[in-house]
Amino acid sequence: MLTVSDLRVSYGPIEVIHGIDIEVGEGECVALIGANGAGKSSTLKAICGLVPASAGIITFEGRDITNQSGHAIVKAGITMCPEGRQVFPQMTTLQNLRMGAYTRTDADQASDVDEMMDMFPILRDRANQAAGTLSGGEQEMLAIGRALMARPKLCIFDEPSLGLAPKIVAEVGATIQRIKEMGKTILLVEQNSAMALRLADRAYLFEAGEIVLSGTGTELQSHPDVAKAYLGH
Amino acid sequence: MRLTAITAAFALTATAAFAADKTLDIGVSDALTGGGAVYGLPQANAVNLAAKEINASGGIKVGDDTYMLKVIAYDDKANPTEASNAVRKLIDRDGVKYILGFCCSGATGAVASFIENEDAVMLVGNAAERSITTREIPNLTRTRPPADYTGAAAGTFVAEKGHKRVAVLGALDVGFYASYVDAFEKELNKAGGEIVSREAFGLKDRDMSPQLTKIRGQDPDAILVVGYVEPAAFIYRQAVELGIDVPRYGFTSGSEEQFLRVATSEQMEGVWDLRPTELTLLSASENGKAYHANYSAEFGIAPSPSSPYAYDQTYALKDAIEAAGTVEDTQAVAVALRELSVPDEVVMQYLPVDEKMFDVNGQAYTSNGAFQWQSGNWVFIQDLPSDAAAYSAFLSTID
Amino acid sequence: MVEVIQQIINGVAIGGVYVLIALGLTTVFGILGIAHFAHGSVSMFGGYLTFFFVTGWGFSLLLAILVSLLVGMVLGVLIELLAYRPVRDANHINAFIVALGLTMMVEGLNLEFFGHEQVVIPTNLSRVFNIGGVTIPELRLYVIIAAALLVLAMTLFVEKTKTGQAIRAVAENRDAAILMGVNVNTIPLVVFAISTALGVCAGVMVGSLFAIAPGIGEGLVVKGFAVLILGGLGSIPGAVVGGLVLGITEALAAGFISSAYKDVIAFVVMISVLLFRPQGLMGKA
Repeated sequence: MLTVSDLRVSYGPIEVIHGIDIEVGEGECVALIGANGAGKSSTLKAICGLVPASAGIITFEGRDITNQSGHAIVKAGITMCPEGRQVFPQMTTLQNLRMGAYTRTDADQASDVDEMMDMFPILRDRANQAAGTLSGGEQEMLAIGRALMARPKLCIFDEPSLGLAPKIVAEVGATIQRIKEMGKTILLVEQNSAMALRLADRAYLFEAGEIVLSGTGTELQSHPDVAKAYLGH
Repeated sequence: MRLTAITAAFALTATAAFAADKTLDIGVSDALTGGGAVYGLPQANAVNLAAKEINASGGIKVGDDTYMLKVIAYDDKANPTEASNAVRKLIDRDGVKYILGFCCSGATGAVASFIENEDAVMLVGNAAERSITTREIPNLTRTRPPADYTGAAAGTFVAEKGHKRVAVLGALDVGFYASYVDAFEKELNKAGGEIVSREAFGLKDRDMSPQLTKIRGQDPDAILVVGYVEPAAFIYRQAVELGIDVPRYGFTSGSEEQFLRVATSEQMEGVWDLRPTELTLLSASENGKAYHANYSAEFGIAPSPSSPYAYDQTYALKDAIEAAGTVEDTQAVAVALRELSVPDEVVMQYLPVDEKMFDVNGQAYTSNGAFQWQSGNWVFIQDLPSDAAAYSAFLSTID
Repeated sequence: MVEVIQQIINGVAIGGVYVLIALGLTTVFGILGIAHFAHGSVSMFGGYLTFFFVTGWGFSLLLAILVSLLVGMVLGVLIELLAYRPVRDANHINAFIVALGLTMMVEGLNLEFFGHEQVVIPTNLSRVFNIGGVTIPELRLYVIIAAALLVLAMTLFVEKTKTGQAIRAVAENRDAAILMGVNVNTIPLVVFAISTALGVCAGVMVGSLFAIAPGIGEGLVVKGFAVLILGGLGSIPGAVVGGLVLGITEALAAGFISSAYKDVIAFVVMISVLLFRPQGLMGKA
C-alpha cells in the first residue's frame, strides 16, 4: 500500500535520513522504533508532506506522492496523528473532531462524530470544552479520534504515548489495538518499543537515519540487539 | 511642489499676443494640495485670473515699458517648511520680486519672519493670524483683516441678538481661531453674556458628536463654531443629528458647495457665518459679480468666498508698481503699497484707514458681515459693527 | 444619564468601524503573523471606490458597495499573492517592510486616482430618531446594525463553515491544520479577501458617516492595532470588545474629560488595561 524507497531528507545542508526503504501492506500494522533523533519522525513528516524529501520515491496505492503538498496527501488517504497531540487548543472538542473530517464531503460526518464519542466516551463529556483545557490523555484520545474522522486508508501515529502517565499509555495501546482490529492500516512510531512491537505485525529499527534491522514484531522483540538497547532486558 | 499647467497656458497666450512687451514674473506660494487647498488653490486661481485680465487690458505700464504678468505658482501645502522653500526658490532661482498668495497662517508666518531681509514684496491673502501684521514689516501687506478684528464684531453682534450663554466649539489649537474667540468673548462679556464652554477639535477630526453632546448637556442659548470648513460642516450636521436647536453661529468662510458636500441644505438652514464680508453673490458689488462670472468661466467651478483676497492683491500690486514707476525697486513699490488708495477693480469691500487701502502696519480692513444660510445659499443679512480705524490703532500698539 | 447614554451611542458607531478594521487585521495576523499596515489605506480605497461609483457612474449606493467589495476582495487576494507570499518564509522583518511599503503605495494610488480633497459618500439618509432625549441619526443606526451583522456573519462563517474552521485551525496550529488536509496556500487568499471586504465596509462607513481623505486610513490602522492589542492579538471576540471599548472610551473621554486629549486618553486606557492584562481583554494568557 505504502512504499518508501531510498528516501533522503535534509534540513538545510544536513542530511538526517540517508536512504531508507519501508513497505506497509494493506491492513498491516508497521512500527518504526529507535532512539530519539534516529529519524523516525522526519520519515513520517516526509511521508505526510510536512518536510520535503531530497531524494527517493514515496508511493501510495501505486501513486507517486513524493513531495506533494500536505493537503493532497491527506486527500489521498493518509492521516497522521502527530507527536504532542497538536489539538487546536481554543477550538472545542467537537470542532476538533469535525476538523478531522475537513476533506470529506459525504453526509456521514455527523454519525462518525457520534461513533468517535462512543469509542472515546470522555470526549462526549468534553464536547463543548476548549481542547486546550483537556488532560494529556484526553487530548491524545481526541487527536486519535480526529485522525480517524478523515476515514484514512493509512493512519500514522507519531509517538502517541509520549509524555502520558503509564495507565494512559496502556489505554492508548489498547486503542491502537482496536483500530488495528477495525482493519485500518497503521504506521506507528513509538519510543515505547515494547508496546510498539507488541502491536506491530512488522517493524523497522532506526539508527542515525538508517534502517538497521527489520522483521516481524515478534522477531524484533526477541532480537538480542533490540532487547538490550530498547527493551531494557 | 509643481508649476501649475494653468500658469504655463497663461504665459503662452500672454507672450504670443504681445511679443514686444516685457514680462514681469510674479510668484505665488500657496496650498495647492492638502488640507489648506480649499483656501489656497482658489487664491492661486484668482491671481492667475487677475494677471490674465491685466495682460488683456494692456499690462502694467512703467514709464515707456509695458509689462505682461507671468505667474509662477508653487505648492506650499500650508506647511511652514514647504512655504519657506517655495519662497526661497521663487526669489533665488526664478528671480521673482513680488510674491502673492498665502492662505494659511503657519506657512505665512514662517515666510514673514525672513521676508524683511529680502529684495522682494510679500502680499498676504487669506492668512488670518494677527501677528503677521504686528511686526511692521515694511515690505509686507495683507488684504485679509486679522481674525480678532472680525471676532470682536461677531461678539457684539451675537450679544445684540440677546444671547447670554454661548458654547464654543473650535479649532482652538490654531492661534487665529483662538484669538477670534477671545475677541468674541470680550465683547460678549461686556454685554453681560458668557462663554459656557470651550470645546476643541483637531483639523482631521470629523466626529464632533462627543463635544456636541457635552455642549447639549450645558443647555446654551447659542453655539459658536470656529474652524476650517470641512470639520465645521460636520459640526453643523451633527448638531442637528443630536437635536441641538439653538442658533448656530460660525466663523468658517466656506462656500455653499463646500458645505453641501457634507451636510444637507436642511441641516445648514439658519446657520450664521460671521466673517469678513468677502464674496457672496448677494452682497457683491458689480466687481464681485463679474469676478464670480469670470472665475467660474475660467476654472469651471465657483470661486471660494475668500479667493478675492488674492485677486485684490494682484490689482494692488499693479497700482503700486505703476505709482512707484519701477519694477526693480521693491522698496519703492512697498512704500507705494502703503500709500495706495483702494483700486477700482477690487472685489472685497475695503474700509480704508486714512483713505488708504493698507494702514501703517500694511493691514487692510474689509467690512464684516453676518451671513445666514437660507434655502441652500449664504445670504448677506447685515454688516457687523466693525471699526477699522480703532482696530488699526490697536494693532499698532502690539509688538 | 441621557448624556452618558448619548455618549455611549456616539462611541458605538465609531467603535463599530474600529471593530471591522480590527477584525481584518486580527484574522490576517492570526493566519500569517503579519502586521498588515496597508489595511487602513486599502479600506479607504474601498470607500473612495464606492464614492466614485455613486457620484461618477451613478450607481445606487448598494450596488456601488457591492462592486467595491468585489474589487476589494480581488485586491486583497493580489496583495497576498504578490506582496506577502514571496516573503512568507523569510525573516519577519521582510514582511514588516513589505507592509510599510505597501501602505505608501496604496496611499499614493489613492492620492493619484482620487485626489487630495476630502470625499463624503452621499447617502441621503438624514432622518434622526429621538428616544427619550437620546438621538440617533438614521445613518449611524444603519452603520451600527451593519457592523453588528458583519460581526455576526464573520462569527458564523468562522464557527460554522469548514473554511472558517480551517482558518481558525491554521491560526492555532498550522502543521496540524495541514495534517487535517487544509490547503495552507489557499487559506491566506480567503483570509485576505474577507479581511479586505471587511475593510472596504469600514471604509464605506467612514466615508458616509464622516469623510475620506489622505491620511485617514493610516490613522485608522493605528487605532485598529490598538484595538488588537487591547482585545488580544488574533482574537475575534477581542477585536469586537476592544473596538467597542476604544470607541466608547474616546467618546466618554471627549465628553467628560477633554476633547483636546481624547486620543491620548484612549491610549492611556489601553496602556492601563495592558498593565493588568498583558494578553489583552480577551487574549489567552
